[in-house]
Amino acid sequence: MSTIKEYLSADHSRCDELFASMEDAVAKDINSAKESYDLFAGETERHFQMEERVMFLEFEQKTGMTEGPTAMMRHEHIQMRNLVKEMGAAIEAKDKDKFFGNSETLMILMQQHNMKEEQMLYTMAQQHLSAESERIVDMMQSMIVE
Amino acid sequence: MDLNGLSAEQAPPISAPIRFFLTAPLFGIIAGFLILLSDASVLSSRYSVESIAITHAITIGFLSFVMLGALTQMLPVLAGVRVPKVDLFAKIAHVFLLFGTLFMIIGLFQDYSKLIFASSLFLGIGFLGMIIPMLVSLKKVVHVTASVRAIMTSLVFAFIIVLMGMHLLASYGVGKFSSLHSLFANIHSVWAVFGFAGILIIGISFHVLPMFYVAPRFKPFCKQKVVWLISFGLVLWLILNIFLDSYSTVAKIWVALFFWAFATTVFLKLNRRRRPISDVTVWYWRSAAVFMTLGAFAWAINDFYDGEYIVIVSILIGGGFMFSIMSGMLYKIVPFLVWFHLNAKGYMSIPTMNEMIDKRLAKTQFILFLISLVGFIISFFIPSVLPLFAITFIISMIILEYNVIAPVLIYRKIIKTKPEFDMSMFSISVEGIE
Repeated sequence: MSTIKEYLSADHSRCDELFASMEDAVAKDINSAKESYDLFAGETERHFQMEERVMFLEFEQKTGMTEGPTAMMRHEHIQMRNLVKEMGAAIEAKDKDKFFGNSETLMILMQQHNMKEEQMLYTMAQQHLSAESERIVDMMQSMIVE
Repeated sequence: MDLNGLSAEQAPPISAPIRFFLTAPLFGIIAGFLILLSDASVLSSRYSVESIAITHAITIGFLSFVMLGALTQMLPVLAGVRVPKVDLFAKIAHVFLLFGTLFMIIGLFQDYSKLIFASSLFLGIGFLGMIIPMLVSLKKVVHVTASVRAIMTSLVFAFIIVLMGMHLLASYGVGKFSSLHSLFANIHSVWAVFGFAGILIIGISFHVLPMFYVAPRFKPFCKQKVVWLISFGLVLWLILNIFLDSYSTVAKIWVALFFWAFATTVFLKLNRRRRPISDVTVWYWRSAAVFMTLGAFAWAINDFYDGEYIVIVSILIGGGFMFSIMSGMLYKIVPFLVWFHLNAKGYMSIPTMNEMIDKRLAKTQFILFLISLVGFIISFFIPSVLPLFAITFIISMIILEYNVIAPVLIYRKIIKTKPEFDMSMFSISVEGIE
């Protein structure tokens, strides 16, 4: 069983791969890129929710920090969701330039965000929640995306 | 654990890095004009004051300005540290470095000793005013990654070369040179290139390449050992240089070998990157890798020709490798910062990063830069063509400045309007949770 940090970090890499596949699909033919966009957008949303609805809640409960790092991460999720939506709209409109403009921005934002999580938040979460690590990972895995 | 790195407010104000980025290409333009107005035969000697002034217009004025600007932005993200009062330090250091570099150039060209003294002092204050606070903040990092270690190592080299540089410059002010002057100058330049800039670039690329291009990750061996091995090579080179000069080539080859390996790795990783995009930043990474490979060999071989080709080595490594990487970074970081800061302030209708810089202008700038580099090398053998390539270089620097200003103007235009979304209700204080 992987730890919270390992599980969520691996999920970041998986989303990166899906992101690259989506860009690849758009570069080849924007008309048939909807499927890989949906896959990326869906899995990214799933990742956000695993954090927002499971891990962040546990972390906030344990540490009492409800307005600290998790609040900032939630805020960055909002920023990223907007960009993902814009990319979807660009695919609908068959506007490659718009798509890549937004995907470039999302890429950098996402990587900065991931780095902060992997280097700080996940490490802290693992420290505070090590006893419940298995249960939390289990809950994240079985969570149904809303 | 320091949580400040997790806050949106933790990012330094946009002015901290941007002031360095906007100044850098201006020094490129100055360097271009100095090359244009100088006699080519004087520039083929690395010890002529003209060569020294022009070199530093590039290495301090352009390269160091970009590196310091980037570090203010990257430390919170890469290392999770916040340099206290970074905006203030950046503002003060920027003024000192700006005037320090100008004084150095004018002082050396005009042989005006008071100005040279002032430049030594100003540059010292400017550099150390950034390097020391950064090193102090980095000491607090709990989770030391390979990149953080590389940044720390590079800053230690920077600290030493700045002190040496101040001393060397002051010698020009007095007009008296110790018997160790050329040894010092040698150490200063080699450690600056490979220790400060080289190790910094390697450390940052551990993150940048896999992340921004979804290229394969660097092997743990690379990440854990290479910085040590290069540092060891640089110290070994120093010792041999002082005590057993005839063997110092061995250490040079050692260091060159790792940089050549790094360049090859960069090139191969870019080939295997998962993202299909190919923009000016990718071209700059590629040109950097090619020039570094040539430069590493030229540097090692140069010893067998009594250092006759050191100017070519400098063009290949300083211009081809370091300048390329810094320019490429400007193209990525400036539009992103503009987008990031506007978005964080609640502006929703912002042009995308790709819309902020004209792609054709970026391409033109890149091509002119490459032509200039190749032209500078040709000019070493055919000095009469130098002015032509000085002009192409100046034009490429003017375009670069324009390309960096364009996103900043977009920022200034949008910031004057009212945000679509009031972010103040989301502003969260992270005070008191450390």
